[in-house]
Amino acid sequence: MKLSRRDYIKANAVAVAAGVAGMTAPSTASNLLTESSKTALTWSKAPCRFCGTGCSVMVGTKEGKVVATHGDVKAEVNRGLNCVKGYFLSKIMYGKDRLKTPLLRMKDGKYHKEGEFTPVSWDVAFDTMADKFKSAIKAKGPTSVGMFGSGQWTVWEGYAASKLMKAGFASNNIDPNARHCMASAVGGFMRTFGIDEPMGCYDDIEATDAFVLWGSNMAEMHPILWTRVADRRLSAPNTKVAVLSTYEHRCFDLADIPMVFTPQTDLAILNFIANYIIQNDKVNQDFVSKHVNFRRGNDDIGYGLRPEHELQKKAKNVDKAGGSSEMSFEEFKAFVADYTVEKVSKLSGVPENRLIELAELYADPNRKVVSFWTMGFNQHTRGVWCNNLIYNIHLLVGKISTPGNSPFSLTGQPSACGTAREVGTFSHRLPADMVVKNPKHRAIAEKIWKIPAGVIPPKPGFHAVLQNRMLKDGKLNAYWVMCNNNMQAAPNFNEEGYPGYRNPENFIVVSDPYPTVTAEAADLILPTAMWVEKEGAYGNAERRTQFWHQLVDAPGEARSDLWQLMEFSKRFTTDEVWPADVLKENPEYKGKTLFEVLYQNGNVDKFPLEQTHKDYANQESNDFGFYVQKGLFEEYATFGRGHAHDLAPFETYHKERGLRWPVVDGKETKWRFKEGSDPYAKPGSDYDFYGKPDGRAVIFALPYEPAAESPDEEYDLWLSTGRVLEHWHSGSMTQRVPELYKAFPDAVVFMHPDDANQRGLRRGQEVKVVSRRGEIVTRVETRGRNKPPKGLVFVPWFDASQLINKVTLDATDPLSKQTDFKKCAIKVVATGRA
Amino acid sequence: MLTPFKKIWELVCRIWSSANRPAKHLSIGFLTIGGFVAGVMFWGGFNTALEYTNTEEFCVSCHEMGDNVFVELKPTIHYSNRSGVRATCPDCHVPHNWTDKISRKMQASKEVWGKLFGTINTREKFQAERRRLAGHEWDRLKANNSLECRNCHSTESMDITVQSTRAAEAHQAFLFTGEKTCIDCHKGIAHELPDMTGVEGWE
Amino acid sequence: MKRFLVHITTAVGLLALASTTALSDGAATLRQGEPIASEAEAPKMNKVENNDVKRVRNYPEQPPTIPHQTRDYEISLNANKCLSCHARTRTGESQAPMVSVTHYMDRDNQVLATVSPRRYFCNQCHVTQVTAPPLVENEFIDVEHIIKGE
Repeated sequence: MKLSRRDYIKANAVAVAAGVAGMTAPSTASNLLTESSKTALTWSKAPCRFCGTGCSVMVGTKEGKVVATHGDVKAEVNRGLNCVKGYFLSKIMYGKDRLKTPLLRMKDGKYHKEGEFTPVSWDVAFDTMADKFKSAIKAKGPTSVGMFGSGQWTVWEGYAASKLMKAGFASNNIDPNARHCMASAVGGFMRTFGIDEPMGCYDDIEATDAFVLWGSNMAEMHPILWTRVADRRLSAPNTKVAVLSTYEHRCFDLADIPMVFTPQTDLAILNFIANYIIQNDKVNQDFVSKHVNFRRGNDDIGYGLRPEHELQKKAKNVDKAGGSSEMSFEEFKAFVADYTVEKVSKLSGVPENRLIELAELYADPNRKVVSFWTMGFNQHTRGVWCNNLIYNIHLLVGKISTPGNSPFSLTGQPSACGTAREVGTFSHRLPADMVVKNPKHRAIAEKIWKIPAGVIPPKPGFHAVLQNRMLKDGKLNAYWVMCNNNMQAAPNFNEEGYPGYRNPENFIVVSDPYPTVTAEAADLILPTAMWVEKEGAYGNAERRTQFWHQLVDAPGEARSDLWQLMEFSKRFTTDEVWPADVLKENPEYKGKTLFEVLYQNGNVDKFPLEQTHKDYANQESNDFGFYVQKGLFEEYATFGRGHAHDLAPFETYHKERGLRWPVVDGKETKWRFKEGSDPYAKPGSDYDFYGKPDGRAVIFALPYEPAAESPDEEYDLWLSTGRVLEHWHSGSMTQRVPELYKAFPDAVVFMHPDDANQRGLRRGQEVKVVSRRGEIVTRVETRGRNKPPKGLVFVPWFDASQLINKVTLDATDPLSKQTDFKKCAIKVVATGRA
Repeated sequence: MLTPFKKIWELVCRIWSSANRPAKHLSIGFLTIGGFVAGVMFWGGFNTALEYTNTEEFCVSCHEMGDNVFVELKPTIHYSNRSGVRATCPDCHVPHNWTDKISRKMQASKEVWGKLFGTINTREKFQAERRRLAGHEWDRLKANNSLECRNCHSTESMDITVQSTRAAEAHQAFLFTGEKTCIDCHKGIAHELPDMTGVEGWE
Repeated sequence: MKRFLVHITTAVGLLALASTTALSDGAATLRQGEPIASEAEAPKMNKVENNDVKRVRNYPEQPPTIPHQTRDYEISLNANKCLSCHARTRTGESQAPMVSVTHYMDRDNQVLATVSPRRYFCNQCHVTQVTAPPLVENEFIDVEHIIKGE
């Protein structure tokens, strides 16, 4: 610590003055400032802003600034640890280019699609925006407006947004970026168990004997969970770690059974394990006979491409992709019998001995096993199938819902579970696992929301990829993107996303703290408060709901997504947006603003401002005059209480380091579906998969089917995309932290040295990564953390300057509508520049 | 009809009887020079064959080497570096001195045996043996004061001013004083490490 | 040179943003002025700073960044190269900083005989730094500046 020049001058001046006055100055502990009023920091808890692990961090503030962060020792999830991103949270809000005022594209003083971004007031911004939304609805109806939200929204932001779209604009065109991330996991849960989210929790890690990673690079993407896995593996040496991936990554450093497989053949490996268990008589007959049904799923379901695509026309079950029919155990046995070790080894490229070792981890009745998966399974044109097939294995041996036995779907985003899934911000969903198609579910929502019957439309809205297609086709015309960077994140930038946003028929609004790639493609940019600049709630991958207070103020005129949503709703009356016949039958709603019917409905405005915490600011509540967050949360919690999604009272979460739902009688639930640990499991059931009417989970017979696009003569390599440890998603926060930027500054194409050599390329050389859809310019990396096998390359997508989604294909899982970002065909060619 | 076995036997007998007869038509000079030439040819052939076994091409022709240690070598500084001067397998693993080389080659007969019987023909087997195999190399380098390292890295030629600070300090404290030899600190410099439990400096 | 040029462009862009109108193409600051529909040259791969000079931490809890290169430093089931210098018992010989006492604590804050296995993978928190200048300046303020009223 050194004295600054100013301190030095000040100290000297005091000494001189004291000398002149003939007295000694009071000593100030030399060069260490010790006065407590100055040195004391205010510490508050908050969940980390980044991944779905849900670490709790302590945030230190001083004079309205975040000055330090560290892992929360009291938090069960991370016990004092953070990853490198988490340790640098203090700096994510302070990028110099924070947006502080709304920016509207203008020419000659008014909005113009090809205008320059010009600072405007919130009033001008919202007036312009409301005008565009109203004229779209008037011209083409409610399906012409839409919203793309986020698994990084707080719970109440997602809830307020869902209400605004579904109950306000009477449009189901709201989807979160969690569609890119978790939709296949949701599909898997709903199909196998009839209820969303993992049955187990992170406590499984310390209780298990084996970990199997299926397409999950936890070492980089869930680093704190990886510390727990490493802790278990290294402190209990009989524990085994099996890692499956299409390329070697950091998790292989801890792998006892490392396996690199040919893309898409995970489907075959999963079926091989089921076959191995059956052939070796390791089926838990008692469990299976009491708790499981068998069904044959429809195959040949297409690839979620545009309907005119050849692959879609060729597939026979495009329209009934989710269909299935009953089957017996014997029929299932015959179905998987085809997946022999010889055949699957040949198909996948994994040696037979390792496949058997892997299968043994599941088959051995004396070994507990946790399966983890993330984007390798979910971003897959057969993602729901992958999820179904891993449950098959755990169900066949009854290794589920008990400590250490856990098929565990990890989430990517901090509130993919808490907001996107539980609140139901998907285009087909409502809170607490309900769906818009079901008239009973709509009726429940309309009742809780105190809106007339018939406002919520029954038809699911446009999902993420379809939204971009509809923008391009001019069918979706007024569009609000919040809390995500979808121009960088969505597949097929050149053919769908970019032309969609820049389509002259459309008006695109982007709310973000920073000028992102998506913001650049927008027509109106709204400056947004982030993380601890607002009061929030997130729900992590183990069903843990965590709260935080507003700790600092947002810069300039930046406002939270919640404020923006509610303030915007004031500009609409029911007459402008609700179906005329509904209003005719319910005249008392006529002429009301959406703000009044959605947020001043007696529920949301139920709690007075005085109930907010006196030590913390609350911008939204102060502005609207009631405790907004509490009102929204309590109304939302009504959906789940008594329906196996019980949340604790609002205040509890501000005290606890999160609780895992269902929270019944003040107690959280660690393992669902197991009598004794889940209060919803019926007495005497032992296991109760109560999401299904008969309490039985489903084992599905589903085949291996090839990928949508595979390498050929011209495009001769597989491309897989993904993240790196140091950057969160599109890098809009982490690229602005100098230490994180300098740890991994630019994207590269990771490739096998022989693949590089064969193409006359060398490490560091500038190359183009080219697909049928587009190209990026990057540099070759033949060493480092990722080691792809020959025939596959890996490019991370965090880099705003190297938009790899110009290259990717928008093939999706026909069931979950989630994009396969892990597989398409590309070539790598030199640019010819140095 | 003669059996093939009998045929071969007759041929052997014929060759031996002609070889056993004194030379009728050849001069003593021819025999001496011819013998010398034959000797040179044999010796040359032996050496050529021996030298061939000292090439990287030969080493990596077995998949045990090609798929394990050679793949691991490629990203390291000993294969890929600023000036492109690189170490090949024999640079580090075959002694340059003739007698040491021959004695190493005698040991290599065990490796031939291992190859024939598939001692390390899978990654798993190789990993299981890795500590023992690496141990042989560490012992050899420890015993000869890291001779094969020093064939290229001479202490006399090291300019510590262009080394990183910590390298310069370590070299001055331990290498130049003779307190340690290269392999003491630089294990795993060209290949992945075996289980290092109990290895000095890794406790 | 190119990086320098784009920095200039960015600076100009930011100035424009600060006045009345901003760029539309090139608004995404991280792209340094390159419109999103086009492709810039890829920046050269950077060198890792390797001068062994400690960097000032932003706050005491921040994991120090690594001031040296770590090429081929293995951290696996077999070996941890970092600990061969930074483990308590190795620091006498290596003169490297000892991993802090927190690293010896288990989940319940009990100090173990050796470094806790939960801290085994050093590279989850500690990262090297390349020489490239940051794309965007960060205005995080060191708490010492705040309390001294600077």
